[in-house]
Amino acid sequence: MTGSREALPDVDGSGLTLGDRAAIALTEYRAGNHQALGDLVREATPLLWHTVRAQGVDRDAADDVVQSTWVALVRHAESIAEPKAVLKWLLVTAKRAAWEAVRKHRDDEKRRTELPDDSPEHPMALPANDPPPDAEVLRDERDRILWTSLQKLPGRCQELLRLVSLADRPDYRYISAAIGMPMGSIGSTRGRCLAKLRTILDEQGDFSWT
Amino acid sequence: MDLTPEPNQDDEAVGHLSFDPKGVLDAEDGAVLTRLARAVGAVDPVPEGLVERSLFAITLAGLEADMMEAVYLDAPLAGVRGAAAAARADDAAPAEAKTITFTHDSLTVMITLSPSAGGRVRIDGWAAPAAGLDVELHRPGVDVVTTASDEDGRFAFDSVERGRASLVVRRTDGGGGAVSTPIIEL
Repeated sequence: MTGSREALPDVDGSGLTLGDRAAIALTEYRAGNHQALGDLVREATPLLWHTVRAQGVDRDAADDVVQSTWVALVRHAESIAEPKAVLKWLLVTAKRAAWEAVRKHRDDEKRRTELPDDSPEHPMALPANDPPPDAEVLRDERDRILWTSLQKLPGRCQELLRLVSLADRPDYRYISAAIGMPMGSIGSTRGRCLAKLRTILDEQGDFSWT
Repeated sequence: MDLTPEPNQDDEAVGHLSFDPKGVLDAEDGAVLTRLARAVGAVDPVPEGLVERSLFAITLAGLEADMMEAVYLDAPLAGVRGAAAAARADDAAPAEAKTITFTHDSLTVMITLSPSAGGRVRIDGWAAPAAGLDVELHRPGVDVVTTASDEDGRFAFDSVERGRASLVVRRTDGGGGAVSTPIIEL
């Protein structure tokens, strides 16, 4: 079938993964060459965006958090001990900043809950969760099956797989570590979340995903 | 080491036979993840211009100027959001003048943005305490423009194209470090 190789650009180990390119970008930046970092910003911003959004940050605040994550990378460029771990560093930094944004937003909401028409029976809704993802935009039947199958997984599995899909497959372990989910079974590059998703997908019928 | 099964003529058989929960990624895993990446991007798209805003922010960070904080005197509902977000929200009423105040330690900079001919923007600024200041206007992909304040700390940029910008302020006598405003949307 055509497209199989395209779908697996880096599993054969000959290509650099996003994690590798992030390490190179930092090393180059330290040496005064800013081009590679610019390329990394273009490539990894979607991954950071969805990392932040998964923490329940609204779109405007997430925009600021992603920018400040990149700024933090530049500010800490000299002190990041292990360039190899820079992708993980970015994800952890983005996630912490996202928590901070959520906390600030909650404090803000708390102050507003002192308004008289707020009561314990009608608590202010906290934007702790994303609005339900709108599967309406997915026109392809298999996309919708995939999306609804994903919703059947535990929340952290959903987050992990959404993020893993945006990076290169061998970066699975950096991303799992960054969001606090160890890889599970030794020697498995697939991980339990993907295995669970594949099981659910197989129950949906005999679709070819390649 | 490449443990990935080669795509076979009999794709269905290979796809299902190779599905081992403890195994390595197979071709269908890759296809599922690729499809998932597209779905993730479609359901919650990355905002337009976020990459450019990030690149600009990195460039400013490279200047190693201390970041000032934005204070919203006339737009309390802007709340905890950043200056860029607040400015974006104001896009609906571009004809009105808008004032933003920035603070850092003892220095306060207030700027008023008002419409200028040809859909451009005029920036009037005032810094306190009054001192001779060099004020740089940074914008993505454009050369830096510099102006000097008068002895009362007043400065102006007559006609600036709309878009993202940041002001970097330094004392003319070289005292203290440089400070920069967050990125604002003119």
